[in-house]
Amino acid sequence: MPQHEQILERLMAHLERLAPPDSNLHPDIDLVSELGLDSVKVMDLMLDAEDEFDISVPLNILADIRTPNQLAQAINKLLESQ
Amino acid sequence: MTELYITKTSTRNPLPQRLADFTTLAEALDYAAQGVTGYNFHDGRGRLIAPLRYAELRQRALAAAYRLCRLGLKRGDKVAIIADTSPLFMEIFYGCQYAGFVPVPLPINMSLGNHASYVERLARLLRSCEARVAIAPAEMQSFLTEAGSEFELLFSGDGEAFHRLDANVQPLEPSRPDELAYLQYTSGSTGFPRGVMIDQATVMANLRGIVTHGLGVRPDDRCVSWLPFYHDMGLVGFVLGPMASQLSVDYLGAREFAMRPMQWLALLSRNRGTIAFAPPFGYDICARRLRSGDLERLDLSSWRVAGVGAEPVRTDVLERFAECFAPAGFDSQAFLPCYGLAECSLAVSFAPLGQGIAVERIDRAHLEHHAHARPASACGDMAVTRFVNCGHALPGHDIVIRDQQGQPLPERAVGRVTVRGPSVMSGYFQNPEKTSKVLRDGWLDTGDLGYLTPEGLFITGRHRDLIFVNGRNIWPEDLEHLAGRCQGIRHGDVVAFTAAAEDEEAVVMLVQCHLSDAQRRRDLVNELTSLIRSDFGVACRVVLLPPRSLPRTSSGKLSRSEACRRYLQDGGESLGLAPPAASLTGTGAP
Repeated sequence: MPQHEQILERLMAHLERLAPPDSNLHPDIDLVSELGLDSVKVMDLMLDAEDEFDISVPLNILADIRTPNQLAQAINKLLESQ
Repeated sequence: MTELYITKTSTRNPLPQRLADFTTLAEALDYAAQGVTGYNFHDGRGRLIAPLRYAELRQRALAAAYRLCRLGLKRGDKVAIIADTSPLFMEIFYGCQYAGFVPVPLPINMSLGNHASYVERLARLLRSCEARVAIAPAEMQSFLTEAGSEFELLFSGDGEAFHRLDANVQPLEPSRPDELAYLQYTSGSTGFPRGVMIDQATVMANLRGIVTHGLGVRPDDRCVSWLPFYHDMGLVGFVLGPMASQLSVDYLGAREFAMRPMQWLALLSRNRGTIAFAPPFGYDICARRLRSGDLERLDLSSWRVAGVGAEPVRTDVLERFAECFAPAGFDSQAFLPCYGLAECSLAVSFAPLGQGIAVERIDRAHLEHHAHARPASACGDMAVTRFVNCGHALPGHDIVIRDQQGQPLPERAVGRVTVRGPSVMSGYFQNPEKTSKVLRDGWLDTGDLGYLTPEGLFITGRHRDLIFVNGRNIWPEDLEHLAGRCQGIRHGDVVAFTAAAEDEEAVVMLVQCHLSDAQRRRDLVNELTSLIRSDFGVACRVVLLPPRSLPRTSSGKLSRSEACRRYLQDGGESLGLAPPAASLTGTGAP
């Protein structure tokens, strides 16, 4: 789905800023256990997502998101439901 | 669709102010409902989404009480509710007050990818509190349904489903002063929940102390808060306290604050807030996120009480905040350090109002060797530790510092902080064993270490072994329990603690094990660090030690404090760890 790809691409750009240098970023990396985002950085990422896509990310979706791919899917869904 | 124009509740109230001189929360709300003040809920961008006057809240709470009665709840039954910052929470919480039921606030999940562990945590809490009803905001309902599937609940659903329930309009009997006001689960021990039992008379006593002695509340005060309702400071300090003194409150969700902390200050600026509290973490994140241009939009000159609590007070963080926000009118004299814990409803002591942070410089060597807080001389280059004055106990309460045997200690001697008074809990719910450990002859052993001077209480060590990271409290038991999931690690092989180095807090886990193969040791360290990351969202330094090297107490239990002391002393060498260069440690960086 083209929109998914676009969302993912923009997310990855934000992630690059938040991730530790030299991390092996890829769309299926586990954001917390592999990439090591702590709770503050997770909130930073959500803020980026909200501002970038002009959406409001509801709290309840966090528990089922582990990877950039999954986050992009969730954002896509939010955009479609708007 | 009609568009409704909504406005926030006013600060001014024609109703004469009464400062929490009520016998129960229901009686307090009955009075507040005669005025025009109330709660105001805002979204993440600071827009008002729902004002809720106390008058309207009272009506909705009564309706909730009728519905709960109709469900067949018995007096004293527990009503669990996921404590989102929303009008629904207020309605259910106060609904319980009007019908003699006991609300139990449950935590919200704010971590990524932890669906299973969040549901597990909710299930443990539901079991521990013996919930008969479980209510959640619509978007969190699925977690609660999953968690509650094995319990016989009279009702489990979201706000809408709850509102569809029939109501029995019947005479209500609100909770009496000697009945429970709520059960408060202490800051998140997941595996070993402790439900603090707080009676109506108990919480009212604390509220009186807070709003009169602690904050000196006045009719023109207005509160602003992002503190979650499942924490004592959020619930008692910023839900119950303002209501019991008929003040208006502006709320921002905790997650919204974590994302856009400046909204907290913007809200305070806009609505001329006067009272707002945060743990040091909250002040820290504001100072860190300050961007150019933010200051021009802020006017913090109305902020007369900037409370600091819930975590050890870090003076460097507060000094930075004060410096950053002075141009926006923030007055550092507004800082109000205080000390408290859920087991004492909320507050034990407050520093004097309007004095800011008062720090004592203590001779560190003398403190370490003699457990005595001797002020450092002004000159000389001796090592110095700084402690913050948390003031005197609330009226009617006593603080005594005791040694390990429970004997009172003189001024400036460091020992266990114990508290007595009308705000102390009656115990942990269904847990006489844990209760008897902390409550003896009316004295609450807080588990914190500190000393007293004629100026007040100084806290030197944290709540038992609680770990503080990014504004969260983590129980070492939970980390240790998690480690037990790894193959080859038994429960008694692990201790976790924080090692404070300068102003950074590092979480450390020491594991004793038999593994000798280097690759398998590396795998274990990586497995543990990533498990801890995904379940707790914190980085942890995992250190492997030879078998039988962790220190134990005289009764044979693992001693976290001794392990921590030795770890800090020589980097673990006395624990059997090879010198740093040769040792295998890891923080799990990929």
